[in-house]
Amino acid sequence: MSAGAARAEEDTGSASRRSLRPLALALPALVLLVAVIGIPLATIVLRSFNDPEWGFQNYVWFFGTPVNLVVLQRTFTMAAWVTVVCVICAYPYAYAMSVAGPKIRLLLTLCVLIPFWVSGVVRTLAWMILLQDSGIINMVLRAGGFEGIRLIRTQTGVIIGMAQILLPFMILPLYSVMKGIDLRLVQAARSLGAAPPRAFFSVYLPLSLPGVYAGAIIVFILALGFYITPALLGGPRSTMLSTLVQNQVLSLLQWGRGGAMGVVLLVATFLLLALAGPLMRQRYKLAAR
Amino acid sequence: MNQRLRSMITTTAAVALLGLGAATAVAQDAPVAGEVAEGSLKGKTLTFASFGGIFQDGQLAALQDFVQKSGVTLLSDGPTEIAKVQAQVESGNVTWDVVDTADFPPYVHCGTLFQKLDFSKIDTSKIPEGQTSECSVPAMNYGVVLMYNTEKYKDNPPQTWLDFFDTEKFPGVRGIDGSGDFTGGLLEQAFRATGGDPKAMTADDIDTAIDKVRQLGPDTIFWKTGAESQQLIESGEADMAMMWTGRAMTAVKNGAQYTPAWQDWLVVMDQLTIPVGVKDPDASHALINAYLGKEAQEILTEKTSYTPINTEAKPEVEPAVAAFLTNTPERQAQGYQQNIKFWVDNFDTTQEKWSAMMAGG
Repeated sequence: MSAGAARAEEDTGSASRRSLRPLALALPALVLLVAVIGIPLATIVLRSFNDPEWGFQNYVWFFGTPVNLVVLQRTFTMAAWVTVVCVICAYPYAYAMSVAGPKIRLLLTLCVLIPFWVSGVVRTLAWMILLQDSGIINMVLRAGGFEGIRLIRTQTGVIIGMAQILLPFMILPLYSVMKGIDLRLVQAARSLGAAPPRAFFSVYLPLSLPGVYAGAIIVFILALGFYITPALLGGPRSTMLSTLVQNQVLSLLQWGRGGAMGVVLLVATFLLLALAGPLMRQRYKLAAR
Repeated sequence: MNQRLRSMITTTAAVALLGLGAATAVAQDAPVAGEVAEGSLKGKTLTFASFGGIFQDGQLAALQDFVQKSGVTLLSDGPTEIAKVQAQVESGNVTWDVVDTADFPPYVHCGTLFQKLDFSKIDTSKIPEGQTSECSVPAMNYGVVLMYNTEKYKDNPPQTWLDFFDTEKFPGVRGIDGSGDFTGGLLEQAFRATGGDPKAMTADDIDTAIDKVRQLGPDTIFWKTGAESQQLIESGEADMAMMWTGRAMTAVKNGAQYTPAWQDWLVVMDQLTIPVGVKDPDASHALINAYLGKEAQEILTEKTSYTPINTEAKPEVEPAVAAFLTNTPERQAQGYQQNIKFWVDNFDTTQEKWSAMMAGG
């Protein structure tokens, strides 16, 4: 064996070792994910097909029960609204964070993070106090001579509460993208004669879209699975799918049906993401251009 | 002769043994509620699962005497969820030795998740009639009452559940228990409000009853927690509300201008059960027997304001609490007993329909 061949062999050896290295780095997280998400998820899928017996009975039941379909559709609609509200609130905020001086930026970051550290249950209870008919919002309205409005136990109330809880998941990805945008590009557009709106829509917005997409996907998916907030702030017209899952599993011990509902929600989410994927890649290209 | 002697000896021995056996049996056969043999559970551990809050604190306080006498180590867990009991039973690893449940589960899951109780080990003689079942004894009594705003309804207050379901004569926002399982008694009253006879209710009538609840309209508030129900009448958001007596009492104490319509208040209770497959069924039975004692029940009521289930218990409570206890002769006469068998037989379909209604379906 020549020295050169030996060296080549060594090279391939270290190359394959090198390609395994990232896997080794991901190992702790991977083990945790498989153990606490993979296995339970597989169990849920399995139970949806074999509890109480093998077959599609749980899916037949799901699609044959009108209230399930109404609630499934409502779950997606409400998650979409929450996402829209989050984008509208988070975009200017994240922009302000990205252009502010260090002191203001710290203040703005704290304003996002401090509520984030408070449990969602506590924030939901706080929203109950604010939104209820005799709550602070209505008290202020009445003091100002306006009619009180019904907020609690409505979809609007639930969307407000959920959007506030999920806002950090939109602001943080947006901010991390925005702070990487070179503002000189906007200046260049302006110097080439673009009016401010044009410079924003043609240059800044496309560059920030990856942050919008990342945030929107996280918020949308988290919103789909919300349980406590719709249960406490909502009424019959804002019940989301997780409440029905809870009823099937905890009250009726129908693990199979609960599993089928979870699987339907998961598959529907995947489908939606698959549809949104190509659209996003399109935008990325646009942004890159 | 020899044989006769032998047979005589055998007979005598047998009689003596029998006598001894009977004596032991009598000693075992006569458990007294609230009593436990000194040091009998030394070194053992029992886990008691219940619904938390001041209720479970009161239950643990009521069991302190049992803990001290028997030497048992008592652990407390919760909140009770039947799905958790099922998971424990199915995996063969039962960690809850005694479980406090809502009304129906011990009937729905008798023999499968909850074991049939051995009533030679529990003194049930002081429990109000008709409250024990094969798999449960009551943990306490309470009522579901119709609370109404005295300022709104003034001289013409609602008097029964029929008025609760009559939105024309009694306009106003209703609050209903939406915390989990349906309440059979309420559906029977709803069916009565449609002109039906609840005693003759069939499975086909369940829809009629739930429709009657649905017809209360979009303003109806389905409260999710006891605290929320209390808040609904303290803030005046609901003009009439279906409430647990404990929460109603606290709200009135806090100044809510509401009062109960006691006629046909719904009799409900929590149950004590022992899951199938507990490590030491005798110890679990001993805990239940101690829990049912007179002193234990007095402590329970004094700490929680729920009604004791030992008829001899004389808890010392302030008048505001006494006003909501349900064991006085007057209240007993006004109470409405739901048809437990009917609701247990139709539990799944009813719960399915009830939750569909609550999901806006």
